[in-house]
Amino acid sequence: MSSLLMMLLPIIIIQFILMIVALIDLVKIPQTNGPKWLWAIVIVCGNIIGSIIYFIFGRKQV
Amino acid sequence: MSQLLQVSALQKNYGQHEVIKNISFELKKGTATALIGTNGAGKTTILSMLAGLLKPTSGQIQHEGIVGDPRAAIGFLPQYPQFNTWLTASEFLIMAAQLNGLPAKVAKDESEKLLQFVGLKDAANKKIGTFSGGMKQRLGLAQAIIHKPKLLLLDEPVSALDPAGRLDMMHLMKSLQKEMTILYSTHILNDAEQMTDQLLFLKDGHLVEQGSLQDVKAKYEHHQIVVEFKEKVEAARFVESSTLSAEQQGAVVTLQIATMQQVIQELAKGDFAIRKVEQQSASLEEIFMKVANG
Amino acid sequence: MMQWRVLLQKEWRDHVRNLKILWIPIVFVLYGIMQPVMFYYMEDIMKAVGNMPEGVDMGITDMTSADVMASTVGQFHLIVALIVILSFMGVISKERKNRTAALLYVRPISFSAYYLSKLSGATIVALLSTVLGLLASFYYTMILYDEMDVWKCAALIGTYSLWVLFVVTVTLTASAVFSTGVAGTLAFLLTYFMQLIDSIIGQFWTVSPWKLGTYAITWLVAEPDSSDFWLSVVVTVIAILLLVIIGIWGTRKNVENIKI
Repeated sequence: MSSLLMMLLPIIIIQFILMIVALIDLVKIPQTNGPKWLWAIVIVCGNIIGSIIYFIFGRKQV
Repeated sequence: MSQLLQVSALQKNYGQHEVIKNISFELKKGTATALIGTNGAGKTTILSMLAGLLKPTSGQIQHEGIVGDPRAAIGFLPQYPQFNTWLTASEFLIMAAQLNGLPAKVAKDESEKLLQFVGLKDAANKKIGTFSGGMKQRLGLAQAIIHKPKLLLLDEPVSALDPAGRLDMMHLMKSLQKEMTILYSTHILNDAEQMTDQLLFLKDGHLVEQGSLQDVKAKYEHHQIVVEFKEKVEAARFVESSTLSAEQQGAVVTLQIATMQQVIQELAKGDFAIRKVEQQSASLEEIFMKVANG
Repeated sequence: MMQWRVLLQKEWRDHVRNLKILWIPIVFVLYGIMQPVMFYYMEDIMKAVGNMPEGVDMGITDMTSADVMASTVGQFHLIVALIVILSFMGVISKERKNRTAALLYVRPISFSAYYLSKLSGATIVALLSTVLGLLASFYYTMILYDEMDVWKCAALIGTYSLWVLFVVTVTLTASAVFSTGVAGTLAFLLTYFMQLIDSIIGQFWTVSPWKLGTYAITWLVAEPDSSDFWLSVVVTVIAILLLVIIGIWGTRKNVENIKI
């Protein structure tokens, strides 16, 4: 099982990076489509898909 | 003065709906023209056609002495200028200048100069997303003049601004008047009165009146004479005795159809105690109401 | 040329500052890695979960590198279609709607420079993501399974990149001609949906852009039929060129429809 963990580790780390990038962006962006706290939940609980959905539909940028 | 732009029989239809109906006018070099009309009269449509953003259904727009793409000689500030919020003011201006054909170095210098001119020097490297409405309007003016256009089109340049911002903007526009021909739309007539060589009154897509400020004013001069008496009773006595049609409001009497001479004769006859007599000229506001309603 | 460069710089700033250049490659790499790892440990995971009946062979342990990459590419079809289309379906149509186009179109810009700058910007992001994603997938597959010929891997990446370029071009041209919603739907139908149709009833023909994914995988086991493959490449390139022409035409035509 430890080798499984070693192989999964990069996935977990990259996924974590994606989530952090999304969260930092969420804090910095002036406006989102819908309330920010909702997007925070989507990003944290929604795994990869949550972050993707945030980047595509959450950001409000002209 | 030679002319810069000749518009003849300009027409714009959207399906059956005629938005601009057979409009003709010309702009002389180095003049400022105010396009006046209520919301929905067609001001933006005309400016967009002149800017090359809309195609006229029929009619002609002739630019004198411009070869090639007329857009190169035109600067345009829309009523609601919208920028990519993630660019900085300086980045946007440099891009705008380069798209107008200025070399990179010149574009950079010009953008610095203009940011100073419109008072955005300190905000040059800030993202446009952080700008207030007034700052965006000033950046909008900067992008419209960065390539030193011969014709500057401004759509309601001051109407969205607060009084201080309006004063600033009018000031900037006036200082440009020497270098370029300006056509701007407005529905605030006080502003138009401050800076205009020619007036174009627009109503429901029709050009209902045009001419210089003096000509239009002379044409709609209503010879209204106002006499202010010392006492209310004096005013009443005057209205009673006078053969002229007069309207009394407290101690003030307004005479619509009369000459100064007639009024003075009448006043001399009855030995009235008056404070002052004056001939009032029509304001642009009143002229506009007359034109718009008649 | 200068206008194209200036406008591409704006696109680049857009993709960098709005983080497309960061999150899209990350997602592609994630999905690229996940496939081989999941397959390799499927059996372990099943056992750990405990509902693996005794003596049932899942066939997973017999998988080759080529099988794993084939399933990665299969996954990529949907991810490429969804993410590329959703991220770029508005790049031209939204500018018309949010009034930013007005300040560009009043200048003497060439519409081909405008369209091509948009296409170049989106292509850089999409291809970078695809190549990184596939490379990551190859790396993991080689560690967990057997070695693969580098040239075959390159051939797969090259072929699949052409497919991605096709998806990007369809998306941008749709955005140039139609409104954002219509553009997205149309692009999805013309890429992912058509590719599904092609994989179901496509045995009757051998040449089409929608077969590029299949040909890309074929490189790993055997070379694809040379004439069929190259004809498909030529047809796709011609389709892309046609789409570019339609896109430039659409951009010019839609000047009338920008909000001022």
